[in-house]
Amino acid sequence: MNPLRFTRRNLLRGGLAATAAIPLLDARRAVGQTDVPRRLVVFFIPNGTRNQLFWPTGTETDFQLGPLAAPLEPFKDKLTFLRGIRLNDSLQNGALGGTLGSEHARGTGGMLTARPLNPGTEFVSFGNTTSGWGSGQSIDQYLAERLAPPTTFPSLQLGVHVRDTEVRARIAYSGSNQPLPPREDPKEVFSALFGNVVGSSQGEGGVDPALERLWAQRKSVFDLTMAETNRLMQIVGAEDRIKLEAHLAAVRAIESRMVGETGSGAGAVDDCAAPTLVDVDLAVDNQYLEAGQLQMDLAAAALACDQTRIITLQWSYAESEHLFQFLSINGNHHAISHDFSQSGTNYEAYNRIQTWYAEQLAYFLGKLDSYAEGDGTLLDNTLVFFASEIGESTTHDLTLMPYVLAGSAGGKVRTGRSLDFSANRRDNNQLLVSIAHAMGAEDLESFGDPSGATGPLPGLT
Amino acid sequence: MRRILWCGPALGLVLGIACSVDEGAPGGENETERGAAGVDACPTAQVPRTPLRRLTRFEYANSVRDLLQVDPSAASELPADEVTNGFDNNAAVLTVSSLHAEKYVLVAEKLAAAAVADLPALTGCDAPSTGEEACARQFARSFGRRAFRRAVTDGDEQLLMTAYAVGRTGGSHEEGIEVMIRAALQSPSFLYRLETTSPGGAEASDGALVPLSQFEIATRLSYLIWASGPDDELLDAAERGELGSKEQIATRARQMLTSPKARVAVSNFVSQWTGARRLDITTKDAALFPEFTTEARAAMAAELSAFVDHVMWEGDHTLTSLLTAPIGFVNESLAPIYGVSVPLGGSGALQRVDLPPEQGRAGLLTQAGFLSVQGHPDQTSPVLRGKFVRSMLLCQPPPPPPPDADISPPDVGAGLTARDRAATHLDAGGGCYNCHQLMDPIGLAFESFDAIGRHRLTEGAQTIDVTGEVVNTTDAALAGEFHGVRELAEKLAQSSTVRDCVATQWFRFASGRLEAEREDACSLGTLQQAFDASGGDLQELVVAITQTDAFLHRPPIQP
Repeated sequence: MNPLRFTRRNLLRGGLAATAAIPLLDARRAVGQTDVPRRLVVFFIPNGTRNQLFWPTGTETDFQLGPLAAPLEPFKDKLTFLRGIRLNDSLQNGALGGTLGSEHARGTGGMLTARPLNPGTEFVSFGNTTSGWGSGQSIDQYLAERLAPPTTFPSLQLGVHVRDTEVRARIAYSGSNQPLPPREDPKEVFSALFGNVVGSSQGEGGVDPALERLWAQRKSVFDLTMAETNRLMQIVGAEDRIKLEAHLAAVRAIESRMVGETGSGAGAVDDCAAPTLVDVDLAVDNQYLEAGQLQMDLAAAALACDQTRIITLQWSYAESEHLFQFLSINGNHHAISHDFSQSGTNYEAYNRIQTWYAEQLAYFLGKLDSYAEGDGTLLDNTLVFFASEIGESTTHDLTLMPYVLAGSAGGKVRTGRSLDFSANRRDNNQLLVSIAHAMGAEDLESFGDPSGATGPLPGLT
Repeated sequence: MRRILWCGPALGLVLGIACSVDEGAPGGENETERGAAGVDACPTAQVPRTPLRRLTRFEYANSVRDLLQVDPSAASELPADEVTNGFDNNAAVLTVSSLHAEKYVLVAEKLAAAAVADLPALTGCDAPSTGEEACARQFARSFGRRAFRRAVTDGDEQLLMTAYAVGRTGGSHEEGIEVMIRAALQSPSFLYRLETTSPGGAEASDGALVPLSQFEIATRLSYLIWASGPDDELLDAAERGELGSKEQIATRARQMLTSPKARVAVSNFVSQWTGARRLDITTKDAALFPEFTTEARAAMAAELSAFVDHVMWEGDHTLTSLLTAPIGFVNESLAPIYGVSVPLGGSGALQRVDLPPEQGRAGLLTQAGFLSVQGHPDQTSPVLRGKFVRSMLLCQPPPPPPPDADISPPDVGAGLTARDRAATHLDAGGGCYNCHQLMDPIGLAFESFDAIGRHRLTEGAQTIDVTGEVVNTTDAALAGEFHGVRELAEKLAQSSTVRDCVATQWFRFASGRLEAEREDACSLGTLQQAFDASGGDLQELVVAITQTDAFLHRPPIQP
């Protein structure tokens, strides 16, 4: 396969393709921003952890990685372990009340929203504490809206073999009952991100007139349909108006790039390039690694080329029953995660799977770290939030979440540390506030359910 | 090697709480009783609010197929719809994300380009003789009516003609029509099923239910029965006021059921209800099940539709047939799994076969696709099979296992049968018993079929015992032991609990929401009674849905 070259030079020259559906960066809108951008990546893996093998031992600054995190050794001085963050309080005693939904579902819908699930009978859980869907905006979407980075994509939701479409499979929300589906097909992601760039051998010409015409037509259609949506909003009831407002916001979020007015590209690193696509069969569990690496390559390239600064990268779904026969493991991940034998086949298999996920994180961090930027690397200017929907897997624990940060968002987090809040547990809400501060929303005082603790985590910066 | 399922010894109390309340669980037995009781005492019609319904991906594809006479496969680029309770059309959560908005643009552009390839056929208008502007205006009104599923207003016409002008100016008549189609397909009036018509032009202030307009009834009918928008004939009927009475609506529903468009809609429901749509992502251990090829998996999915088509449109369209008919539809890749033969050299097309009587096959429940989905990669799952019967046929969903239960499937190959492996579940003194007694004794009757649906008599050199029982039921038709799926299926076919549950499932799917305990009691109760009275006739069930208050009315708009 002849890879498309995607370079900063091409970026700034503007999209040239005649047939491509989605335009890329257009120098006409470049604003010449010079600040080094900060980026956020949420790296989600399913089915929790095993505390005894996951957390570092030692002191805050002199620590040894646990076996499940061992693959992260090369990046140790860029990590911040966050032991002692609880997801349960804000989700159990929230304004919406009750312990709604299974822990897997609550964790999935609450991790980035710091809110309980909506009441409802849509999803059953043990003990019949049923629930509906997530009840508020997730931090990634809040930041995309609040910071409005000058990128082509306000944010990007990527998934690897997510497949499931229930509450346990959605981590990002634009609002209550508004889960955001991830893009799971690397080919589709490639096309969205880089589909409009042609090889440098195809000349220096301007934008194809046919493409210019298509953009103008799209603009007119957007205008017409948005006016129509506004008209209908006056007619429908209050609850449906929320839905139409969300629709309008969604159209506004894509409008610019669909009509050729794309991000400035000012935050792109010098050697950013589109990755090489290979064919993967997304239906085959044994090609998890291949599908995942492509999505990670694309995520890294999207950040490097300043296509977006906010990404959620989700592996499978909470409670995942993914198979790992390619690791010579029989049985599905979730079933294995509930075997609480302290030795034996499933014990080893679970450790192997969680370590494999840490290997994937290491691969991704390595990608980001390979791009030089300013005095450091792209990773240094990114905050990667590694998370799972529960803590200790055998007990569906929500009091000790397996959270790690990597990178520092340009020095906003002091890294190379193992923080332990176990003696004085902190709320998930506070972590999300800290993330917002690191990303530049420094005046945010609280996030999510009002019953959660306010302010950032202590000692992070 | 672990041979049994481990269930924590301290769990009895928790499990007792979790599974002793199944009578009160949503859709549980006493729900049915409440509903039935409500029928006798339905003083005034009640209908809960239904959130604005966005077209599902499936409905979008069918709608554009019928609107534009094009191959709708571009619609597969839309994001998959969120699934709630097994169904992908729960209105509360079907929203438009930015990914949807992006795909609506791109998909509409592809479809519009394909649609204008034969402009005279599409518009039914000869531009050179009639005039481009006149043709465009004519098309705006006729196409707009079908796209928006109501009488076209001057505002609609203006919107569509503005879009036309965008393409026509500096372009061509064809390009104008193309842009008009794109605009229509991105309009909220197409993407959502709006129900905002106020009789007399204003919403009643007394909170009384509002009868839907006839265009809105036509739209509900067409998405219920065709999973697509109404055609001109149906819209004409609405315009002429022929959908004004319950009798007219029932007659129209019966007529619509004779259309080929009803086939995909009904098999879509059954595919979701039975979980068979998950075949796409079902994996089997290739060493144990080399027959489970991509082709076989595709044939299994196709068999479900073929079987449903057969029962619904060629057979007697009863729930009994759906649950018991020992008929298969196989091709070369599927025939070996059933142990039947088909003529060699076939095209891969499915052929109807009578399944060997000695296997004890029975309708949906012994289809290879169903048995594969409700199983593990390396072995059967009596738990999943039993859970399916409890949840989707009896409407008594057991809760998921508690967090500290070991749910990993047991090791196989130790000379044991699945019944041996389930012994811990079924130890009346153990922590697993309260919940698992609801599932495993049903699922173990399926054991004469392996994890991909092949018939077998032995496992681990032991003869398989297919004795089963539906415990904890007040339904006399379900009482007592049975042997094998066939006897189970016959019991289920006789059961009023099952009939009520099937009515409930179809009601949920038709409504795009779960039933509301209070406001839907009458609708659901009358529906269940009608289905029962019809002898479990599935076509009549669809018709009966159209006769419920929930189908015919909406609550007033809350500004």
